[in-house]
Amino acid sequence: MTRPLLEIEGLSKSFGGVAAVDRVSLALEPGRIYGLIGPNGSGKTTLFHCVTGVERRDAGRVRFNGERIDGLEPHAIARRGIGRTFQIIRVFPELTALENLLVVTRGSLAGAEARARELLRFVKLDGLVHEYAGNLSYGQQRLVEFVRVLMRDPSLILLDEPAAGVNRTLLNDLLEAVRRLRDDGKTILLVEHDMKVVMGLCETVFVLDHGEKIAEGPPGVIQADERVIEAYFGR
Amino acid sequence: MRPRTAFRVGLVLLVAALAAYPAVGTGYGVRAMLQIFMWVALAASWNLISGLTGYVSFGHVAFFGAGAYTGAILITSAGWSWPAAALAGGLGACVVALVIGYPCLRLKGPYFAIAMLGLNEVLRALVSYFEGLTGGGNGISLPTLEATVPVYYAMGVAAAAVTLLAYLVITSRFGLRLMTIREDEVAAEAMGIDTARHKLYAFLLSAAGPGIVGALAARDQGYIEPISVFPLATTITMIVMVLFGGKGTVWGPVLGAVVLFVSQELVWARFPYLHQLLFGSIIVAVVLLMPRGVLGLLQQKYHLPRTI
Repeated sequence: MTRPLLEIEGLSKSFGGVAAVDRVSLALEPGRIYGLIGPNGSGKTTLFHCVTGVERRDAGRVRFNGERIDGLEPHAIARRGIGRTFQIIRVFPELTALENLLVVTRGSLAGAEARARELLRFVKLDGLVHEYAGNLSYGQQRLVEFVRVLMRDPSLILLDEPAAGVNRTLLNDLLEAVRRLRDDGKTILLVEHDMKVVMGLCETVFVLDHGEKIAEGPPGVIQADERVIEAYFGR
Repeated sequence: MRPRTAFRVGLVLLVAALAAYPAVGTGYGVRAMLQIFMWVALAASWNLISGLTGYVSFGHVAFFGAGAYTGAILITSAGWSWPAAALAGGLGACVVALVIGYPCLRLKGPYFAIAMLGLNEVLRALVSYFEGLTGGGNGISLPTLEATVPVYYAMGVAAAAVTLLAYLVITSRFGLRLMTIREDEVAAEAMGIDTARHKLYAFLLSAAGPGIVGALAARDQGYIEPISVFPLATTITMIVMVLFGGKGTVWGPVLGAVVLFVSQELVWARFPYLHQLLFGSIIVAVVLLMPRGVLGLLQQKYHLPRTI
C-alpha cells in the first residue's frame, strides 16, 4: 500500500451535543476517486468542513502528505494542495467568471488568464467569461466553481455534490474531467446523491450514517451491504 | 479606444485647470475646492476598506483625527514643517489602524461596524484625557501661517494619490482578492486567500489618506479640539458619498464627494437647517432606489469595468 495522501484518524465534531461526525477514520491513496455517501444529515459536509478547516474539529487528527493539517487556517490548508467546492454554490457573484478563476491564482497573470480561458472553454462557458458569476445559471455557477478549484492545481479535490443542477450533457463532460484528473495523479473525494454517478465513477465508497462510518469498499460491495441498505431505507 | 483617449485628455485638462485655479479663483472658491479635495481623499479611502471588502467602518474619522493630532503636535511641540507633519499624520493613522485592525477585523458584519464606532469614541476620550500632550478639551492652536494655497495643492495631491491608489488596487489581483472577502469570505479562505492579512492591508491603505488630510486640515484651520476632529458626522458623510457615487468603483467616491459637497454648499447657503434633511433624504433614496450608487448602477447595467 502506498502512503496515503490524506489520512483521517478518529475525527469528531459535534454541534450542541449532537455528534455530526463521530470518530471517523479513513485514508485516501493518491490517484484514485473516492465517494462519500450517506443519508441527509449523516455528516458528509461536516467532514469536508473539518478537513478543509472551515470548521474546527473537536477531536482527531488529519494528515495530508504526512503532515498534520488539523488546526490550520483554511487558506493554509488550501495552499498545501487541497481544493474544494461547496454544496451550496459559493462563487463570487459580483466578479466575472474569468475573475472568479484569476483571483485564486498566484504568479504570472498572463499565464493564469490563458489557463482560465482554457478551463472556461472546457466547460463551454467561453462565451460568458466577462459575465458576472451571479448572473449565470445554477448549473453554470457549479461549473465555474469546479474549474476555479482546478486553477490552483490541488493534489486533493473535494467535490460536494458536483452533479446537482448540471445538465446531462455537461455532466458527462464533468465526469470525464474528473476521470482525467485522476489519470493525472489527482485524488478526488466526492459527496454525491446521484447513485449512478457514484457507482460509475468511484473506486472506493465510504458510507456515513449519523456521523459514523458504517461501510467502506468498492461500489458493488457497498450496494449489497446490509447496514447501508438499512441506513437508507430503514429496517 | 476613443472614449478612453478622450477621458485621459479630459483628465489631464482637469488637473491642469485645478492646478491653475488658485491664480484666478476667489478666496471662497479656493477654500471650497480644498474641501472637495479633502472629501475625495476621505471617501476614496473609505471605499478601499468598506467598498471593496464589505467591512463597513463606522469610525473612519478616527484616522482623520489621529492624523490631525499627530500633525498638530509635531508642528507645535517638535517644530516640524507642515508637509512633513502631514506625512507623519498618515503614518500615525496607519499605526492606529494596525493596532486596532488586528483584533477588530476578526469581527464580522455589524460587530466590526460597532467596534469602529467605539474606536472613534475611545480616541476622542484619550485625546481629551492626555492634556499634557494634546491640550485636552482646550485643543491645540497652531502657529499662525497663511498657507491656504500650498495646503490647496497638498490636498489636491492627496486626493489624486488616493484615487490613483484606488485605481491601482481595483485593477489588480490584490483588489479582486479584497472583493472576494466582500463576496464570500468562507469561499475566499477555502481557495487559499489569506483573508485576515488582506483585510489588514486594505485597512492600513484606507487609514493613510485620512491621516494625511487630517493633518492638512489641522494646519489649514489652525486650531483643533477633540470634538472638531472626531465627529461621527464626518464618517457618515464619507459613507454617503461612496454609496451615492458607487462603492467598489474608482470614480464613484470622487463623484459622490463632488456632488454631495456642492449640493450641500448650495443648500447650506440658502437654508441652514434644510441641508441635514437633504442629506438624510439622499441616504434613504440611494439605499432604496440604487443601492449600488450612480456608477455602480451604470457599471452593472452596461457591463462597464470598475475603473469607471
